[in-house]
Amino acid sequence: MKRLVSMTVNGEEIELAIPPYRTLLDVLRNEGRLTGTKKGCDVGDCGACTVIMDGSPVNSCLVLGIEAEGATIETIEGQHAGPDLPHLIQEKFMDHGGAQCGFCTPGIIMMTKALLKENPNPTESEVRFAIAGNICRCTGYAKIVDAVLAAAEDLRKGRTL
Amino acid sequence: MRPFEYHEPKSLAEASALLCALGAGASIFAGGTDLLVEIKEELRSVSHVLNIKKIEGLDALSFDKAEGLSFGALVTARRIETDAAVLRHYPNLATAVSLLGSIQVRNRATVVGNICRASPSADTIPPLIADAATLSIHGPTGERSVAVEDFFTGPGRTVLKAGEIVTGVHVPPPAATSGKAYIKHGRRKAMELATVGVAVSLDRGRSGCDEIRIALGAVAATPIRARKAEALLRGRAIDPALLAEAAEAAMNESTPISNVRASAAYRRDMVGVLTRRAVGIALEARP
Amino acid sequence: MTIHQKPHTQDNLEDGKRQFSVVGKSVRRTDTFEKVTGLGKYSGDIELPGLLYGKMKRSDIAHALIKNIDVSKALALKGVKAVLTHRDVPRILHYGSPHPRSASCTRDQYILDDRVRYWGEGVAAVAAESEEIAEEALRLIHVEYEPLPAVFTVADALKPEAPLIHDNGLDKNNVMPPVVIRRGDVEKGFAEADLILENEYVLGRPVPGYMEPNVCACQWDGNGKLTIWSSTQTAFMVRGILAEVLGVPYNKVRVIVDHMGGGFGAKQDLFQHEFLCALLARQTGRPVRMEFTRKETFLGGRTRHSGKIRLKQGFKADGTITARHARIVLDGGAYGSHSPGVTTVGTSALTSLYRCENVDLEGRAIYTNTPIAGAFRGYGVVQTYFALDLQMDEAAERLGIDPAELRLRNAVRTGDLAPSDHPVVGHGLEACIRRGLDEVDWKAARAATAAQPGGVKRRGWGIGCEMHGSSAYPGIKEQGNAIVKMNEDGTVTLLTGTAGLGTGAHTALSQIVAEEIGIPFSAVQVVTGDTDIVPWDIGAFASHTTYMGGRAAQIAAAEVRRQVLEQAAPLLEAAPEKLAIREGIIHVEGANRSISLKEVVSPKRGMPAAQIVGVGTYSPTKSYSFAAHFAEVEVDTETGEVAVLQVVPVHDLGKVIHPIAAAGQIEGGIQQGIGHTLSEDYVIDLTNGRSLNPSFVDYKMPLSMDMPPIRTIILEAAPDPGGPFGAKGVGEDPIIAIGPAITNAIYDAIGIRFRHYPITPEQVLNALRAKQKEAA
Repeated sequence: MKRLVSMTVNGEEIELAIPPYRTLLDVLRNEGRLTGTKKGCDVGDCGACTVIMDGSPVNSCLVLGIEAEGATIETIEGQHAGPDLPHLIQEKFMDHGGAQCGFCTPGIIMMTKALLKENPNPTESEVRFAIAGNICRCTGYAKIVDAVLAAAEDLRKGRTL
Repeated sequence: MRPFEYHEPKSLAEASALLCALGAGASIFAGGTDLLVEIKEELRSVSHVLNIKKIEGLDALSFDKAEGLSFGALVTARRIETDAAVLRHYPNLATAVSLLGSIQVRNRATVVGNICRASPSADTIPPLIADAATLSIHGPTGERSVAVEDFFTGPGRTVLKAGEIVTGVHVPPPAATSGKAYIKHGRRKAMELATVGVAVSLDRGRSGCDEIRIALGAVAATPIRARKAEALLRGRAIDPALLAEAAEAAMNESTPISNVRASAAYRRDMVGVLTRRAVGIALEARP
Repeated sequence: MTIHQKPHTQDNLEDGKRQFSVVGKSVRRTDTFEKVTGLGKYSGDIELPGLLYGKMKRSDIAHALIKNIDVSKALALKGVKAVLTHRDVPRILHYGSPHPRSASCTRDQYILDDRVRYWGEGVAAVAAESEEIAEEALRLIHVEYEPLPAVFTVADALKPEAPLIHDNGLDKNNVMPPVVIRRGDVEKGFAEADLILENEYVLGRPVPGYMEPNVCACQWDGNGKLTIWSSTQTAFMVRGILAEVLGVPYNKVRVIVDHMGGGFGAKQDLFQHEFLCALLARQTGRPVRMEFTRKETFLGGRTRHSGKIRLKQGFKADGTITARHARIVLDGGAYGSHSPGVTTVGTSALTSLYRCENVDLEGRAIYTNTPIAGAFRGYGVVQTYFALDLQMDEAAERLGIDPAELRLRNAVRTGDLAPSDHPVVGHGLEACIRRGLDEVDWKAARAATAAQPGGVKRRGWGIGCEMHGSSAYPGIKEQGNAIVKMNEDGTVTLLTGTAGLGTGAHTALSQIVAEEIGIPFSAVQVVTGDTDIVPWDIGAFASHTTYMGGRAAQIAAAEVRRQVLEQAAPLLEAAPEKLAIREGIIHVEGANRSISLKEVVSPKRGMPAAQIVGVGTYSPTKSYSFAAHFAEVEVDTETGEVAVLQVVPVHDLGKVIHPIAAAGQIEGGIQQGIGHTLSEDYVIDLTNGRSLNPSFVDYKMPLSMDMPPIRTIILEAAPDPGGPFGAKGVGEDPIIAIGPAITNAIYDAIGIRFRHYPITPEQVLNALRAKQKEAA
């Protein structure tokens, strides 16, 4: 008993037939063919599946796909402007070594975007608090924090998210 | 995830009727952050999910100096955490909520859901017990109100009867000279299940401690009051020796278990340390 | 085409005056845009029409014979396309690990056996139209077990009445072949000692915790060729073992690894699902994907070896170490995997770091009915240097010598015999210690902690040191290969077989190629991760990717450069040795004549130029990187909690190719090491072998708020003649020294010596109480 669900993903309205027990994460990855959002634990412990839903960062593994009816979803694939045109936050992650294996990166970038929208001038501890639910096992977080703070600094110089 | 049927009741009456009709395999879905994990990990057999987000009136949050704080079953943890009134008047609740999972989880999880899950280690429950909060419950036979303190009957078990739904929480207004604190003990600074949680709510009043309530999480089958510790402190000028005595009493009131997270002995020890520290913070706090 | 391998001579090292144009700069990584945009394809992201979902049924008993498996209900479920049990798969004993026939691994695994040896071992697999149907099918499989007696500790496994877990153990017991190293005269050494220390060290069971759960997808084409997309560090090993077990030639197995979400050593093994997925795909004629849940990465993954080390050392009053005696017993878990290799590397590491002529070392790994211990960053050395560096601290105190000073006096240096029996090059360890002492102002820092007044929170500073080999030689004879092709527009294409498990290795290799030829970094494209295209490579492990793969790339690039200059020489009317390439322009040294590289290699009068290709093959021996870590901790004496306040790691890497990537390795290693030391332990129920914390909630890895500031310092103190431009490895080093640094800092803070990891708050509190009681 699939249901038709329509949502706006990265600015594009899509309609998908999905069973009610499928998570938004699985819907995005399978039916939506957007595999940039990662499944690291599937139970809300790691943050790799973070997307922005109606303006708020959520673990898409803990959202049912059918709940996204009418919702606006932002995923990692919708952030850059084109080939070689990274989003400000992506640019900083590239230049500061914020991504190593990259599996946690889409989730952390989406979380960073949500943070900077709310608080464009975060302290280091505010950054660490904001990404507390995003597990990175490669970097020790130092370079991720560097990247987020560098993005915030560029925001202060007039760049936009 | 094991397949289930999905329902979107439009009213409390409809939700309640569905719960009654569908029986034990039916579960209320609000934030989903616990429920979906329990279904995925096969900790719970759920054949019907009732999403109550389409029911109007459950997402209100209000604070009034005379009336206190009220919020509905759909109010998320993150909304409580960032609400100016909560931050100012209920710092114990604000702290506890900010320690629940991640921001992503808190954007979905509801405080009422955290309560209804009835985990002995739930972060939001001790401050609500300490603040003498009550729950509004809608059921097939009407409405009733239950103190948070009296809501739990065991791990994962509550006084809710068939067809009953918790619709909101009411927290009494803080006294002019109130002091509140919550301290959580875990191995990490975030993404933790409390090994011990201690909440304190007191009114310094004239004596320095006219009234005090202490609630302990993760050290008994349900969150509990440390009544003997409270009695030692109530109406007394608190000095370090008295505080140590009260901490000792709180330790003796707890009946923790040992598991992979911590041993019973260590949990009991931490009840002592954290009770002392939390009362200390609450005594210092100035709203 | 020429195979060109430079001998190991000093002339590979730069004289320190060379100006580097690409090497040493933190260029933008080749793979990073795809990672930050989500465009990069990990093995679980591959879209295949008609995909089936595979799942594995795992045992809920630790040691048993399978009497019967009833799959009839599962097969009858609508949407189930295949079910496999031990009756349906080839029964071939295989190496679970990538180095077949090397001494590092054991050959003791079947794809599916009629017996299970640990809780969570795969006993059956299904393929179905959806994940939910596959899960439901697993519930419908009924396994009848005949329980066997099981052992969950090394002590129990060594008892005479212990059940045999495998019949290939030495003397028919559960012991894998021991590693014995004896040098000098230990008896004499102890007789000459002024101080003898003997302690037992107990090692916990951390897991790698990579973010990408194990996953593979398999598809067979009409010609009987298998393509497998797998999250593996060792694509060519996967190809070899799969081909042998499936009975097909190597050129009918194609392994593709594009992006990879970490491995930390554990993804060197072949896991059951990789075989089963291939078999399910063959049987159904459809592509199949098998992806571990997070819980399965714990149950069916690989852990670091837990165990015990008894270490005895003799010291002279001046700090000279006169003898070292160690007995190392590691818990290998239910299958051998890398146990022999880990035991060898860990045991032999104790011959070095701090000089000692008389050593008597024995290491053994023991089978138990617990999850498989395998390869994990630090590979045995984490364990043995934890013991060694803790005892050094204790010795320093007993001898009245500053702990850093004692290490300096004993630090291995040029000419000393390294664990691999090669001479150490340079004074890397000494340089790291000295730099760190300056950086943290060690004397003042220690004086401050010694003078701190009593209080609830107490601070301490500690030091830990390490050395680790780049490459697994002599345990494994490794080889790296690279092909560099010149394109007719002057750009080059680098083909490398090394896996990109997340370290930035492909970028480093591209930098090396650009530097060697004399072209901009942007002129190099790197092709990786497809065994049908790239040259053979043993895999990404043992801190050897930049060292070995980089050197192979350098050799290939040098050959390309040689051919380019040969073609340019007549055009510039100068001998090739008079020519230099800078930024893609070929100059005649000392003359004002130049030509662009593009002009040399592009078609002339419509005639294509001859193809320029360089092949580099490099079989390394050994090189050692060094580090000293300095850590400051704060102990809450009421709760026993230990907070790491700051870490200063100093690493000697010979020559750093990409500073940010190298620092990222160091900082990530420290994160894992802090976890190992203070919070991470994969706990097994000793009554039945079941895992008690197979989740990220209960397996406590340090997260953003737990991580202290890290001031990373990289030295180029002791370049190695074997590495590209003198570069050495960095992957494994940073996880080793941090544990001792923290543990020694805890001693500095509260005067209690812990000789195990992880050190829990409860243990700290209990120890503080015992100490108080003793004092009273």
